[in-house]
Amino acid sequence: MTDDAADVRRVLSGDVEAYAALVDRYYDQCARYAVRMLGNRDDAEDALQATFLRAYRALGRYQERDKFSAWLYRILVNQCRSLAARRSQHERVFVREEAALLNAADEREAGWTGEDEEFVQRVLSELDPLLREAFLLKYIEELSYEEMAALTGVGVSALKMRVKRACDRLRERWELIKHD
Amino acid sequence: MTESERDPNVEWIAREARRPVESSAGVRARVMDAVRSTPLPVRPRRGMGWLTAPRPLALSPLGSTLLAAGLVGIGLLLGLAVTNRDGRLPTEQPTAVAATAQLPVHDTLQVHRFELEAPHASRVALVGDFNNWSLAATPMTRSADGTAWTVTVKLPAGRHVYAFVVDGAKGSKWVPDPAALRAPDDGFGTANSVVLIGQGSAT
Repeated sequence: MTDDAADVRRVLSGDVEAYAALVDRYYDQCARYAVRMLGNRDDAEDALQATFLRAYRALGRYQERDKFSAWLYRILVNQCRSLAARRSQHERVFVREEAALLNAADEREAGWTGEDEEFVQRVLSELDPLLREAFLLKYIEELSYEEMAALTGVGVSALKMRVKRACDRLRERWELIKHD
Repeated sequence: MTESERDPNVEWIAREARRPVESSAGVRARVMDAVRSTPLPVRPRRGMGWLTAPRPLALSPLGSTLLAAGLVGIGLLLGLAVTNRDGRLPTEQPTAVAATAQLPVHDTLQVHRFELEAPHASRVALVGDFNNWSLAATPMTRSADGTAWTVTVKLPAGRHVYAFVVDGAKGSKWVPDPAALRAPDDGFGTANSVVLIGQGSAT
């Protein structure tokens, strides 16, 4: 029995604290995805809390033939989607590509002085959410396309296209800044 | 895209993005506080679980007809038995059993049948918030003529968001139910449907 399955059984047999082991095991990975996907820590924390709480409530229905991490990730991806979708357009951190081009002009004048972390978060946030989600799952979480398809409900060929487009956008952005 | 085709600059962005993010120590504590104030999750018990868990209840049209006819028959027999014992007709007509045969068999759960025309599919599953979007929990059954896929599940009253996952020659695809209301677009390209389960169950 895996650690995950053992912890799930402990929780279901009444040991609430066993859930802390599951939270500890997956928190950092989930936090990284949520921050990179949502673009700010406040929203990411909301998504993480909702994800772990929802998973806890649904633990009785978790089936051990599914990988716990994949099951949890599916909940996280859906929570991030819901959170992003609930935001009104003007509240979104995600910058539309047209806006990104306008902003790029300002940056050319000022020169890029940001830290690597800020730069990375910025260029990711400028991607369309569909492309960003696919890029993160492929390049950051390093999932196979089949795993991504099972997680997102999107076909493999569409996911490959999204990842490619995301890479193209990131490369263009890099070139734009590098040539300042 | 193979590893060797990866652009070095994109790879640099990915490497930076893979670094762990700083997380506030308070968040994990808040998660566990919320967990401790939530009732313990319970795995459906064997024997009782089948009453409450959504699961396939494959019924062909003929089977449905026979089941309904059987329930009508039971209702009539019950009516006759009561009439014989009392020597008069009961106040409540027993045929009401037949009228409610398609309605809930449980106080809080209602039976709902999902159907999708997908003659070329090799496999179809029902996923939704009621089964945590599990691809394995609720497989659908191909109809006798091979064109449609159906599954009957018991759902609690309320609004449920769902979709069908259709496996075909081009891989797996999520499709909304063409016969149902569409859930608001979440902006991520996967359309879901909505079923409203309430008194008298409506889609």
